Amino acid sequence: MAGTPHPLSPDETASRLRAHFGEDIVDSVDQHGHAVATVTVDRYHDVCRFLRDEPEFACDYCDFTGGVDFGPEAGFEVVTHLFSTTHHHNVRVKVKLPHDDPVCPSISDLYPASNWHERETIEMFGISFEGHPQPVKLLLSEPFEGHPLRKDFPLMSREAKPWPGAVEGEEEEEE
Amino acid sequence: MGLITERTPIPQIQPVKFILNWGRRYSLWVMNFGLACCAIELIATSTSKHDFIRLGVIPFAHGPRQADLLVVAGTLTDKMAPALQRVYDQIPDPKYVISFGSCSNCGGPYWDSYSVTKGVDQILPVDVYVPGCPPRPEALLHGIIKLQEKIKDENIEEKFSGRDSAPALP
Repeated sequence: MAGTPHPLSPDETASRLRAHFGEDIVDSVDQHGHAVATVTVDRYHDVCRFLRDEPEFACDYCDFTGGVDFGPEAGFEVVTHLFSTTHHHNVRVKVKLPHDDPVCPSISDLYPASNWHERETIEMFGISFEGHPQPVKLLLSEPFEGHPLRKDFPLMSREAKPWPGAVEGEEEEEE
Repeated sequence: MGLITERTPIPQIQPVKFILNWGRRYSLWVMNFGLACCAIELIATSTSKHDFIRLGVIPFAHGPRQADLLVVAGTLTDKMAPALQRVYDQIPDPKYVISFGSCSNCGGPYWDSYSVTKGVDQILPVDVYVPGCPPRPEALLHGIIKLQEKIKDENIEEKFSGRDSAPALP
């Protein structure tokens, strides 16, 4: 390690990303000291490549790639967390996807670590990753049907029996 | 066991039944099928403080073919279920199964999960259920004593007549 790391502040990260990508950075916020940038689907791969290759970012470590289901209107979100072992700063890249036919570019070619994370996101949310070298199930058994982490996935046990942990008099929130 | 046939006068061989069952219940080679945190309790039961060897449970069989007792300790998922079935099939008769912990009893806290098998009794015949999340080692010791009581009173004719194994006695 040569000297102390100088992490970029979230504001600096956002302004540099905006300077390079302009309108394609849809939103940028500071979450607990981490820069979070929402980008367009088309530039997602480019933003990740930029964060990896640009010496001032040098995000060489992909912590995770995952999905979030916000329901039929808001759609899905793919979240990728990048970290720089040189500068010690965290950047999260988010992509908004429609609920019907969510397709996201794969970054497995940039970060091999995201390969399995993307496979997990494929099976759990039904989000397809374009350009993924092996888009098959990772954790679920092969005959499994459906995407269990989607909000509309029916839990058969709960169909048969309501959740027993509900407090007396409390309204059932779901359905 | 081939000496016991339909014409064997069972009441006259009661002492043999006693000796046989006495021998069987105090030499249970246990197969450790630890799947989650319950496995830690199972291992703790085998070590010096709780020490289930004093009850004749011998830890641990080196493979299912040398085991008499299968302790399923932990969360069984649908993906793991075929492996458990395979291990059970490899254990020679007579064999016993203890379902250890809430997850293997009924799914436990994962009762509504998409991936967890809601109880190993869906795929295996279970002899003793030990409740708890996870159960203390004393609970397993109690379960073993219950299983030994069961073996003590077991009808050897029924047990060895190929009740649940394919090749029947001639």
